[in-house]
Amino acid sequence: MSARAVVPAAGVPYSDAVYQYDDIDQTLVDERVRQFREQTRRFLAGELSEDDFRPLRLRNGLYIQRHAPMLRIAIPYGLLASRQVRMLAHIARKYDRDYGHFTTRQNMQFNWPRLEDVPDILADLASVQMHSIQTSGNCIRNVTSDHLAGVAPDEIADPRPWCEIIRQWSTLHPEFSYLPRKFKIAVTGAPTDRAASEIHDIGVHIVRGPDGGLGFEILVGGGLGRTPMIGKVIRRYLPQADLLGYLEAILRVYNRHGRRDNIHKARIKILLKALGAEEFARQVEAEFEANREFAPRVDAAEVERVSAFFRGLPYAQLADIDAAAGRSPAFQAWYRHNTRAHKVSGYRSVFLSLKKHGVPPGDVTSAQLDAIAALADEYSFGLVRVTHDQNLVFADVRQSDLHALWQALEPLGLATPNIGTLTDMICCPGLDFCSLANAGSLGVARQIQEHFGDFDYLYDLGPIEIKMSGCMNACGHHHVGHIGILGVDKHGEEWYQIQLGGSARGQVALGEVLGPSVRQAEVAGVIARILDVYVQRREDADETFLETVRRIGIEPFQERVYAADHQAA
Amino acid sequence: MRQIIRQREIVVDAWRYPGEAGDGPVVQPLAEYLAVVLAGQAPEHGTGVRIGPTDEVERLGPHLGRVDLVVVEFPKNGDGRGFTQGQMLRQRYRYAGELRAAGVIFRDHMFYLARCGFDAFDLAPGESPQAALAALHSFSVAYQGASDAGVHTHGRRCG
Repeated sequence: MSARAVVPAAGVPYSDAVYQYDDIDQTLVDERVRQFREQTRRFLAGELSEDDFRPLRLRNGLYIQRHAPMLRIAIPYGLLASRQVRMLAHIARKYDRDYGHFTTRQNMQFNWPRLEDVPDILADLASVQMHSIQTSGNCIRNVTSDHLAGVAPDEIADPRPWCEIIRQWSTLHPEFSYLPRKFKIAVTGAPTDRAASEIHDIGVHIVRGPDGGLGFEILVGGGLGRTPMIGKVIRRYLPQADLLGYLEAILRVYNRHGRRDNIHKARIKILLKALGAEEFARQVEAEFEANREFAPRVDAAEVERVSAFFRGLPYAQLADIDAAAGRSPAFQAWYRHNTRAHKVSGYRSVFLSLKKHGVPPGDVTSAQLDAIAALADEYSFGLVRVTHDQNLVFADVRQSDLHALWQALEPLGLATPNIGTLTDMICCPGLDFCSLANAGSLGVARQIQEHFGDFDYLYDLGPIEIKMSGCMNACGHHHVGHIGILGVDKHGEEWYQIQLGGSARGQVALGEVLGPSVRQAEVAGVIARILDVYVQRREDADETFLETVRRIGIEPFQERVYAADHQAA
Repeated sequence: MRQIIRQREIVVDAWRYPGEAGDGPVVQPLAEYLAVVLAGQAPEHGTGVRIGPTDEVERLGPHLGRVDLVVVEFPKNGDGRGFTQGQMLRQRYRYAGELRAAGVIFRDHMFYLARCGFDAFDLAPGESPQAALAALHSFSVAYQGASDAGVHTHGRRCG
């Protein structure tokens, strides 16, 4: 069967390869919409104070921001069917200003909805099996995963069935809906961590056990924010059936003993640090054992029921081809930077860059969303994935279709060949939208994009990850950027602190602060000097920026950036 | 006269909280009750105990056979320790008496509380008992096993 034959026409429900709601799932989201509609009515009628409404709206993803409410919609493990993408376009058009924003946790945010409209937006979402349950608030947040799940050649097993099982278990969990602080879980199924799992409250890694069976390695206590920490392994191997019981034990220890007296010390990482990883693990194991009788067990039939949704894409039998051969340099550059190997021969995964120079990272218009849905139907089984780097992926494209797809993406502004390069930045919405921010991070992103517009230079620099946050809450993951940028407020002026050497994948590391912060206008210039040092000091063209920083340390960069002829405070 | 919800009905509370005057059996703070136990003076029946967010249910667990009422305090909106306390009392210690949530209890908490085993509710001042009762039906399905008291979910996924 050819891939094209199963592609749903516009309006036809769902590709087969996403989880599909049954009666229980649909009833729950419908009842949640009804509940939130009533909560919103009580607030608007003056029956609920702002203080009492806040925790209710937050656990449904609704913030009150600088200009307007912001609604964060869950995209569980970053997977969308084209019909869901069309619904996001519809919401952007009808309720917002015609665009939306993909976040670093695979969610979508709308920045301009009216509070009165939010229940209707949620009802629209529920009609395509989507919601915004627990996308904020002190509860278990939307579970995230590898954007190449199911197609990566290095994968041990597909993490998405486990994500879905965790999504369901954590949804409206009666015991863990009023935690000390927010709680984030990421699941990976491959040795390469593409989900930043080590900076999550819990990282779940699918691993092979001593008996060759599949189970999990469990990490706890990662997180960024004011006190960045890398997760610690507390269980090397956990049998599959015990996953939810073990997660409950972790959550119960945290719910009982996590600090509630200081919001900045309330994440599980602080508890883990205070107890020590060993003692924390001991308490979790003791709770896990004591609660066995009541702990949920994941039975094999349920794993099979959920797994079946993610299997069985009707791949054609194709041989690998050299899709770039004889094509234009522009296509070759895109092919090299924006596509990745696929486990099935004849296919590749394609990144749609949401980092077009001049556009805020992660932003997408309703017209683009509609076009993306149509192209996904035509070229990639009607499926789209969101990455935690704020790009999109068509995971299953025939190599023979790549050129046609590129030609279609180019005029949409979705084919900027910069994936993995300096301008493929992660950036929070900053002062332009967020009421917490100190700094207009989007303006600095624009400054960097303009300064580094020369693709030949970007390619020569190789893989470099810039991550930028507008405040120390670190939504832009600046601690784990190869170059991290943090907006700080100095007497009402925006300044930027630069960090070097962080990494969220492979050898996870937190960046080191370069020195005193610099003025906004100087950020791109400072980065240029940092890159000059790299180009001069790299051992050869193959040594990446991160490798050079790790080899020579940050002193040579400090010397260059803070040389006497440059002004910094 | 304090009105509470007990076993899905709005009733007048027969108990006196610590410091309250009047008739009826007295609810004791955990520390006070444990002192009575230690002195060998704990009665076989008619005891009510109040626990706060930092009290460890493990300390009360061995004595629950003689306890008819546990009042779990929720002094602050958002402090969720009481949910775990309720769940542990019902499951690990198989407590079968009245389990009451008291304090900052709004209708929005009712479904979660009932699923954690609470069968009595002393609501926040001003909250409507009728609305709180209705909120027990906020959801007709659930994804987790729990210690449901007074909520009936027809669809259940795991546990």
